[in-house]
Amino acid sequence: MPHRDEFTDQLSAYVDHELGPAERGRLEEHVGGCAECRAVLADLRAIVAAAPLYEGTPPATDLWPALAARLGEAQVVALPTRTAATPRGVRRFSLPELVAASLVTAALGAGGAWLALRPEPAASPTLVTTTAPAPSAPSFEPERALTVSIPDADYDAAVADLEQVLVAGRSRLDTATVRVIDESLARIDTAIEDARSAIQRDPANAYLTRQITANMRRKLNLLRTAARAIAEL
Amino acid sequence: MRIEFDVQARCRDRPEGGILQAKLAVMPSDEDARDVARAADGDQAAFERLYRRHVGRVASLARWLGDSADVDDAVQEIFLRVWQKLHTFAGQAAFSTWLHRVAVNLLVRRRERIGIRQRRESREEAPLLAAPAPRERPDLRIAIERAVERLPAGARDVFVLHDMEGYKHEEIGRMLGVDPGTSRSQLHRARLLLREQLTA
Repeated sequence: MPHRDEFTDQLSAYVDHELGPAERGRLEEHVGGCAECRAVLADLRAIVAAAPLYEGTPPATDLWPALAARLGEAQVVALPTRTAATPRGVRRFSLPELVAASLVTAALGAGGAWLALRPEPAASPTLVTTTAPAPSAPSFEPERALTVSIPDADYDAAVADLEQVLVAGRSRLDTATVRVIDESLARIDTAIEDARSAIQRDPANAYLTRQITANMRRKLNLLRTAARAIAEL
Repeated sequence: MRIEFDVQARCRDRPEGGILQAKLAVMPSDEDARDVARAADGDQAAFERLYRRHVGRVASLARWLGDSADVDDAVQEIFLRVWQKLHTFAGQAAFSTWLHRVAVNLLVRRRERIGIRQRRESREEAPLLAAPAPRERPDLRIAIERAVERLPAGARDVFVLHDMEGYKHEEIGRMLGVDPGTSRSQLHRARLLLREQLTA
């Protein structure tokens, strides 16, 4: 069968399953007898199959050091303000000291179990899925509607234990460290309280739920880091 | 490391099993999920691992869809944005899918912000010589990456967004401000040009 360019022009659409039944039938009949079109079709399929598997080429220079320096300046936690109707108004604070301190993650007894058993905030598996409507206030991508079911008892006990360690040992820490810890804890507590207040008005808001969990985890990490520092003095 | 396939975003609307399977991308999803959770808590070490696992593909995207002169700036801006938005990642798709969406959106907005520069529209015509056909090349994936850079800008944009990133023609049309039909014709052109280059 002689090769015809009009069929070649349809091969991409054919590969993407975009041809109607009639066009598809005509093309398949032609391709069956045209070696050139068969070769093009096979090549196009190979290209389409390989294209999404690209590995990419990193930048010539390592950008991480410069990027890492900017991360500390960036927003670490963003919570909706108390007015749920103004989602773009966010409470911002940067906690570079907290981030640095959180890198020390040796397991202490108090809080370790809670952290270990606690679901990761991104997945929020302990949250109860409901059929409630999706949250409307936050300006983020739509997601599943969730209600909150956070068992706070274990968390509160772990925090209380660690706070006792901190109270007992804070005099052994230098003034600057104590100040950073106190300020960081105050900010985290405010963020948790804000989110809890907001979620009472919008119980199905999955974003708020994740913020509460993330900030609770953050607080526990900070306390554990502080307790460990005291223990090592 | 368990290997998972990112089916959802990469194979939309492609019902044929063979192609669909071949288009699956290998992603270290488990490691990503763990590091995303940690990074969302402020763990920079976890975020660095995410960065290093994905920077190659993101940089290539920036090279293909942005200005090759400011790839480094674009890459930093993308990962900084990802760091800031990590808490909004719902985990319903692979992290890589979400990352690439953030990257593409940001790169398109950067183009609008700085103005799409005049990129070369001409290319050296590659003669059809007796070379292995694309389907016979074991290094096809690498060869495509190199050849994409030599595509005319319009064809390259559509090829990258459709065949490499899995966007639909309607989405590409909205992003690039072109008709979906134009996107389809540019895609066909890009594929044929790639075939020529790969067989040259």
